[in-house]
Amino acid sequence: MYRRIKKVLGGDILKKRGKGIGVTFYGTGYGNGFPDVSRAYARLLEDGKVEILVGATEVGQGAKTVMVQIASETLNIPIEDVILVNEDTSKAPDAGTAAASRQTYNSGNAVKIACENLKDNILQEAKKILNVNSKIGLVCEKGSVYVKTYPSKKVSFKEIANINNNLKGEGVFIAHTTQMDENGQGAPYWPYTFAACAVEVEVDTETGEVTILRAKLVLDVGKAVNPTLVEGQIDGGFAMGVGYALMEDVGLKDGKMLNSSFEKYIIPTSLDIPNIEKVLIEYPEDTAPYGAKGIGEPVLLPVAPAILNAIYDAIGVRFYEIPVTCEKILLQLNKG
Amino acid sequence: MKIELNVNGKDYSIEIEEHLRLIDLLRDKLNLTGTKEGCGEGECGACTVIMDGRIVNSCLVMAFQAHKSKIITIEGVEDEDIKNAFIEEGAVQCGFCTPGMILAAKSLLDKNENPSEQDIREAISGNLCRCTGYNKIVSAIKKAAEIKRGGRNV
Repeated sequence: MYRRIKKVLGGDILKKRGKGIGVTFYGTGYGNGFPDVSRAYARLLEDGKVEILVGATEVGQGAKTVMVQIASETLNIPIEDVILVNEDTSKAPDAGTAAASRQTYNSGNAVKIACENLKDNILQEAKKILNVNSKIGLVCEKGSVYVKTYPSKKVSFKEIANINNNLKGEGVFIAHTTQMDENGQGAPYWPYTFAACAVEVEVDTETGEVTILRAKLVLDVGKAVNPTLVEGQIDGGFAMGVGYALMEDVGLKDGKMLNSSFEKYIIPTSLDIPNIEKVLIEYPEDTAPYGAKGIGEPVLLPVAPAILNAIYDAIGVRFYEIPVTCEKILLQLNKG
Repeated sequence: MKIELNVNGKDYSIEIEEHLRLIDLLRDKLNLTGTKEGCGEGECGACTVIMDGRIVNSCLVMAFQAHKSKIITIEGVEDEDIKNAFIEEGAVQCGFCTPGMILAAKSLLDKNENPSEQDIREAISGNLCRCTGYNKIVSAIKKAAEIKRGGRNV
């Protein structure tokens, strides 16, 4: 670690710059022995489309998009042919909470298994219709099944559904989750997502204000099912990290929240967030649907440590408590 | 009391209570529920509407203050360029801030078809977003501006 003071515009020495990094790893799912099960059903509809029932809640993170993509990939059908029912508890089976960065990995696995089982049943039916001895030579493509070596021998999902209207598949995925021992040792989660964040900050030594000048975030996603959505998660997680590190404080006192409105509970605005250079590392995880690990929380975690390290690099003060507000910085600097 | 106003090109003459806020008039009386109430104290911008060409927090405007005014809510935004750019860039996550963001963007682009990134960040700085980290919203507004300047086919 080194310290450096850079002159900024107009030779103003009151603003000091520093760089910092943060590196984290984080388990997908509930972990530590808490039961973690996702269920999904897949069903062939009369019109040849496929209905996916999975209780994965969409809160903006993209579960609805990702589940449809996984089903579409597994059954090799267009996105438009996947009908997702995900927030109707009278129809969709329990897929756990949209929490613990678990929906893509856990419920994605359940959807994939359900679709594989449905595909198997569709092929079984197609085998009879196409009058071949085994499923092995059949190909599922764009809502049809055909014989690999004789492509004109073909039957559509719609035709199959008209012959058998009871083709279904169930998917149950039980995640690895074991309790740690009394010393905190063990194997609580699987898999782990790795993330690294680097930032350059400028600290105004007159006002205590910290500005994030540049940021880079590298994320080992396993596989990005939808890269745009992963980028959106990185942007969002980074902004939450900035708030966490520098601004956000509910101010609990005697069991009461002192900062219970946006007037006092400050979160970042568009002016507080820089553009972020994003790098997605795709090293597919064997147990994951198409290799995709959980990324929701991992994008947030390395941000605050990176910012606090950068502040230390800039002004030589090590903070052990967040948020590092302007007041706290000034207090430390004025200690002399 | 009775007020007259124009909302999304339609004239209304409505009986209101004096304590009614503009957001309540829009949501409860006119059933324009696209406008969201976030904090209810003018901090978050979720309730942003355009009033006589300026963006306002409709939670801080009393309904009677809107007498004789022209209001545009998210339902009245006919600008497909902005909406499409938000979709294409992935600028929507939970969506709660989106109506306000789009109105703030429209208000900016109505006045400035070639905004800098700083202009865009300032224009939406009164609109809080918890999910997106703003960057994709900023690129969506940049893209909408490009499309407006004729860059669609580039």
